[in-house]
Amino acid sequence: MSVDSLVQTNILLVEDEENLAHGLEYNLIEEGYKVSLAKDGREALKLFDENEFDLIVLDIMLPYFNGFEIAKHVRKKNPQMPILMLTARTQVEDRVKGLELGADDYLTKPFHLKELLLRIKGMLKRKSWYQKVVIENPFYRFGENEINFENFKCTSGKKEFQLTSYEAMIMKYLIENKDKVVTRKELLENVWNMNPEVETRTVDNFIVRLRKHFEDDPSNPKYIVSVRSAGYMFQA
Amino acid sequence: MLRRRHSFVYNLIIFILAQLVWLAVLLLWIYWYVKNNLIFEQVGENISPQIVYDAPSVFPFVGGIVLLTGLSVSLVLIFRHLNIQIKLNVLYDNFIANVTHELKSPLSSIQLYLETLNSRDVPEEKKKEFYGLMMRDAERLKNLVNSILEIASMDKKKSNRDFEFYKADETIKKIVLESAEQFKLNPDTVMFSGDADCDILLDRNSIRTVFDNLVDNSIKYSVAPLEIFITFKLSANKAEIEFSDNGIGIPHDQIKKIFLKFHRIYDKDIPNVKGTGLGLYVVKEIIKNHKGKITAISEGKGKGSIFKIELPIYVAKEKSTEDKKKDLKNER
Repeated sequence: MSVDSLVQTNILLVEDEENLAHGLEYNLIEEGYKVSLAKDGREALKLFDENEFDLIVLDIMLPYFNGFEIAKHVRKKNPQMPILMLTARTQVEDRVKGLELGADDYLTKPFHLKELLLRIKGMLKRKSWYQKVVIENPFYRFGENEINFENFKCTSGKKEFQLTSYEAMIMKYLIENKDKVVTRKELLENVWNMNPEVETRTVDNFIVRLRKHFEDDPSNPKYIVSVRSAGYMFQA
Repeated sequence: MLRRRHSFVYNLIIFILAQLVWLAVLLLWIYWYVKNNLIFEQVGENISPQIVYDAPSVFPFVGGIVLLTGLSVSLVLIFRHLNIQIKLNVLYDNFIANVTHELKSPLSSIQLYLETLNSRDVPEEKKKEFYGLMMRDAERLKNLVNSILEIASMDKKKSNRDFEFYKADETIKKIVLESAEQFKLNPDTVMFSGDADCDILLDRNSIRTVFDNLVDNSIKYSVAPLEIFITFKLSANKAEIEFSDNGIGIPHDQIKKIFLKFHRIYDKDIPNVKGTGLGLYVVKEIIKNHKGKITAISEGKGKGSIFKIELPIYVAKEKSTEDKKKDLKNER
């Protein structure tokens, strides 16, 4: 057991459906997490600004500020905060919007309790793995690009931008396995820490966004190349 | 949303262009007629003044103008209907999204509790609490399904209602208190005043739906501790029931729209309240079925809302009970 796993993990749960929030809170506490519950967007921002959290479970349709707005605010202050979005909407656009604004993962209601808990566990595990790996060497350069893996700040030519935590983790994983084929399954297992049956589309969504960031011509990638029916490979 | 706005602008541009083309054709048509007429007149006179002047027939000219104007007007009509259709589509999409949300929320809650009970060792006390919460969710699902079914039957004018005689104030008071209890309101929240000691013909279940919806809205759209005032009044031939609350009120420009099917208020200052946009539509239809009238009054945002319901008083001499009942049923 490492030292930080002895400190209780602090989760911010943002859900306005009272019954659902109550059940989630009960389950998270049973799992040994410390839970702060916010019933609307305003409360969520206040709690987030005043406390330290390890992970946020975020509903999208909320009073005052919606989940997207909260994710944006959180990302600005803390790029490494893992965010798990919950939503009743199933449209692809919502999913994409959530991921673009920096949600790391996405669960549609109704969801399975076990899956939710597994994803939360995976996100937390990944976070601590990442923090350990990054301390050794936070900078990486390829072509015109430079990534700072500590604060997720990147430059690509003259362009400056910020990666989300999962984008950074995928890049880190691909770079560590440079010139080797990385399958979607492998990425899901190692970056998301979850059952690869779940959603291989999630990986593809992230790769598309990474290419937009780093490739001169995203439809004709040079660094993050697809390997047909196998997965992806990083070349530099 | 962006795509829709784009398509509206696109339609508008096409519409304006089409109208410009019509206008140009119309002008050309008039110009052509006038020019031809002038040539005919001058040339005709110069060449042989003795020929009897025979102007080109006015008929095709007027006919052409009528035809072109007709086309232009029908274009306006088509454009108007297209816009109504587009607006309806937006409303319908919102409705589907809202219903999806309203169905999935209680469903996920029930699923969560079932899975919790199945996979954990939950203490007896907690179990009871969870069962209670699940029952509330099931109730919520039932209400939603009922209101959707109600709408469907209203649209087909098929609803079978059970009209009975009731004392206006006494019965409405009972119904409101039942609604308040269902929403777990403190009985002190609702205050009654005035009286309306008369007979009215009611379908008790539908009137209960009316007050369920009004109370539910008051709860959803209030910030301060809720207060509901019910005032009864009697006038010449109707019983007036005023339902008012201290909620956040209704913006002026929305007063007329709130009874429309699927309509919902989206306002930055108002927390994003969940619902289907069916509640007040159902309320209005039910009151209409009772040959009554409902109007909303609000002095604006933050100043509470008043719903004034007028129901006709039944006068015994007019017709026998059974006749009146039959009348109301036949109309459906």
